[in-house]
Amino acid sequence: MLLLAAAPAYAQAPKGLSFQATLESIKIDARPQQVITRQFRLTLDADQPETRFKARVEDWWRSEDGARSFYGEPGTLRHSCAPWVSLNPVESAAKPGEEMIVRLTVSVPSEMASGGYWCALTIDEVPDPLAQQSGVGVKFVASVSTGIFVNVGTIDRAARILDLQVGSDSALIKLRNEGNAPVGIDGRLEFYASGASAPTATVVVPRGTLLTEPSLDGTLVAKLPPPSQLPSGRYRVRAILDYGAAHYIGAEREIELVRAAAEIPNR
Amino acid sequence: MRHGRIAIALGGMLTIGSASALAQTTVVLPDTSQTTTMSVNVSEQARVAVPAGISFNVTNIGAATPAAAATVTIDQVVLATATKQLRISLQATTASFTAPVTGATTWSASDVSWNAATWTAATGVGGTLSNAAFNTVATCSPGAAACSTTGLVFSLAPKAAVQRSGAHTLVVTWKVESIGS
Repeated sequence: MLLLAAAPAYAQAPKGLSFQATLESIKIDARPQQVITRQFRLTLDADQPETRFKARVEDWWRSEDGARSFYGEPGTLRHSCAPWVSLNPVESAAKPGEEMIVRLTVSVPSEMASGGYWCALTIDEVPDPLAQQSGVGVKFVASVSTGIFVNVGTIDRAARILDLQVGSDSALIKLRNEGNAPVGIDGRLEFYASGASAPTATVVVPRGTLLTEPSLDGTLVAKLPPPSQLPSGRYRVRAILDYGAAHYIGAEREIELVRAAAEIPNR
Repeated sequence: MRHGRIAIALGGMLTIGSASALAQTTVVLPDTSQTTTMSVNVSEQARVAVPAGISFNVTNIGAATPAAAATVTIDQVVLATATKQLRISLQATTASFTAPVTGATTWSASDVSWNAATWTAATGVGGTLSNAAFNTVATCSPGAAACSTTGLVFSLAPKAAVQRSGAHTLVVTWKVESIGS
């Protein structure tokens, strides 16, 4: 019909995909030759059409600034646990409202050097080969990844703060992993005005992971509260971070904080 | 099951009972103070809703073409700690679109970019598509039970060298990550 033909192509875009999935990272303190099993679960929403998913194990790492994630073939990293992991099934169809289960079996080899090994379980939506798209466009598929972390033998957790920078709306903490295993790290930033014993503001530093390769370094980014809670001024900033060791690590520096000015409407 | 010992007076009618107050014995009754511990194991989880696709209505190859705003929703978020976050990112599966005719000039994946959209309970980041890395679109706020946007706008760069009309398509993967040690 003329009316339909005149409508923009995007108005005819098919309905998107929606599902519920478990997102739990698998963390194992393992002995050589130990075999561990876990499950991943995904449930399509009830109004979805049957959709195929494919499971695989990949190597995974992030850029030092944390903005990009990379996924590679198993064994790309020296400390990959991907060759130890088998999946069943590797491909299956999820029916609407029904739970799809993928079983993971981690078989730790007999002789492995002490340290942390990691990889990622990825569940990819398989594109429908019959789906047609007209015009210029992008066909999206969904993918979910969760981490698999296997610690073998003696684990040495050690991390160091390399730098602490505070911008107008966020703070960056650069860190180095000096141990032999990936560490989860989080904490807080305290902003003290000159001469004050209580902080003007305390900012949560969201959890990140410091790997041991391809780079030992990583960055945590914390968003600052609005200027009404943390106005421009001179502050002593204290970072206090927890990386799962018996003690915290910290850093302190004096900064001149300049918050972005609110936009003034043109008159 | 443990049993408590309770001494009670046995008697029939009140008059008789009062007359036989010394006729007592001990019986064992169940201890009703027992409790059963019910434990619930809740996994880290989330519900994800992403669009199936976007279309660029290209009427001028010499100018950038925006698509209609897309909606992305992550809700029912359950994570292990209040400092963990979910990340949403994008990667193209190939370096360029598939042209309608083999060998015809078409767009590169890097010709697609997106805005730093306004998200509810997330920080949106503008970016450009790559087929080598997942570039962040948004990171849900720590402790957020849901994060979403209705204003994610993709844009296709101008490409004056394109000469064939028809279907130029690219497959792009939405990645929802919760990877953390």
